[in-house]
Amino acid sequence: MTDKETMDRGKDDSIDPYMSKFIREMNAGTVSLVLLAVLEQADRPLYGYEIARMLETLSTELAQVKQGTLYPVLRSMERSGLLESHVEPSVSGPPRKYYSVTETGRDGMERWKTVWGEIRDFVDAVLEGVNLDQVD
Amino acid sequence: MTRSIEDYLKALRQELEGCDPALIQDALYDAEEFLQSGLEAIEVTGGEDTLSLVIERYGTTEEVASAYRQIDDDPSPVRYKPQKTATPPVETSAPTERLKRVSFFGIITEPRAYASLFYMLLSLATGTLYFCWAVTGLSLSISLLILIIGIPVLLLFLATTRAISLVEGWLIEAMLGVRMPRKPRSFRDEGSWLDRVKMWFSDYRTWTTLLYMLIMMPLGVIYFTVAVVLLSLSLSLVAAPIVQLFIGDPMIWIGPWGAFWIELWMWPFFVAIGAILFLCTLHLARWIGRGHGLIAKTLLVGSL
Repeated sequence: MTDKETMDRGKDDSIDPYMSKFIREMNAGTVSLVLLAVLEQADRPLYGYEIARMLETLSTELAQVKQGTLYPVLRSMERSGLLESHVEPSVSGPPRKYYSVTETGRDGMERWKTVWGEIRDFVDAVLEGVNLDQVD
Repeated sequence: MTRSIEDYLKALRQELEGCDPALIQDALYDAEEFLQSGLEAIEVTGGEDTLSLVIERYGTTEEVASAYRQIDDDPSPVRYKPQKTATPPVETSAPTERLKRVSFFGIITEPRAYASLFYMLLSLATGTLYFCWAVTGLSLSISLLILIIGIPVLLLFLATTRAISLVEGWLIEAMLGVRMPRKPRSFRDEGSWLDRVKMWFSDYRTWTTLLYMLIMMPLGVIYFTVAVVLLSLSLSLVAAPIVQLFIGDPMIWIGPWGAFWIELWMWPFFVAIGAILFLCTLHLARWIGRGHGLIAKTLLVGSL
């Protein structure tokens, strides 16, 4: 069995390439907000695997993000000053990088939430139907 | 088919070929953390099936590699600007920024130039320390190799050089803005301690790190000298006319020709030349910092 087949195994047949592209793009847009929210709500710093597991239990099978793609986003958010991290050795395997939200991150979170709310309302409104009379 | 974590990491490394070595190291480290933690958590009867399940969650090497590439393509990620809160974002780890063009006078507000200048001054101390440590450790362990005690001494010494190379990496990333790995090179769990020791010896970076520690001595002396000479020359040119007022003696003494007063009409020239020299010093410091960062990266990180 190749890696590709391993990956495809157990997947719903209804997910065609275009569908998975759509899911990937939707996830790419929201992943920073989701990561920031998880870390802000946590009462202690979390390391990559913990965060990935947490999201896995929350999300549905369709919205599943490939967890390997979370790590580079975490690093990038750290570089932007939204997160900070420290490394602690673990009992087995490589030392773990623990992330927590900075003050800047908390401030950003508040504003991102507003933006997210607006985008969600906008998309919902469009999905529920555009009244053509209102558009000139 | 991916049979072990090692295989996956190897495939991921191939997939990332051509990327920044520090980025590859980060990517491999993240993957190892996840796969290792995943394997532990599953606690099933081991075997290939378990690993492929964990990999399925992590993503294929292509998916993961493309996610890292996206970050690598972004040379200077947007620093997040808080709207009204006073706390400035904590400078955690700068990406390797392309050396952007800075105007001749704009350098005065370039933090990287001052940090590089500071690094140049510091490098005399660190360079001497590294050199002494490398020479002492190397000669001590090699000469003791005749006796059996040399082996543990050599191993201990190599372990310290690995630690020093990591710390120097942090220093360079903070001061020179060249991206360096934030974690030690991965030690693999496979094999006995003897295998791991063998890996240390066969890893060429162990030896290039030693080389770096040796050349830091002459480099440190040069950097320090250049920084001190240029700084003192430029600052004293600016200050000379004013200081002359207070001490009431001529400031310039040239060998047998005696003392010279700085006449009033010369003042602007002295200050201007001093200021221009100071700006040149900052420019030079920035370039040296960049160059040294690249040397350090080649020798301490290597190309994976």
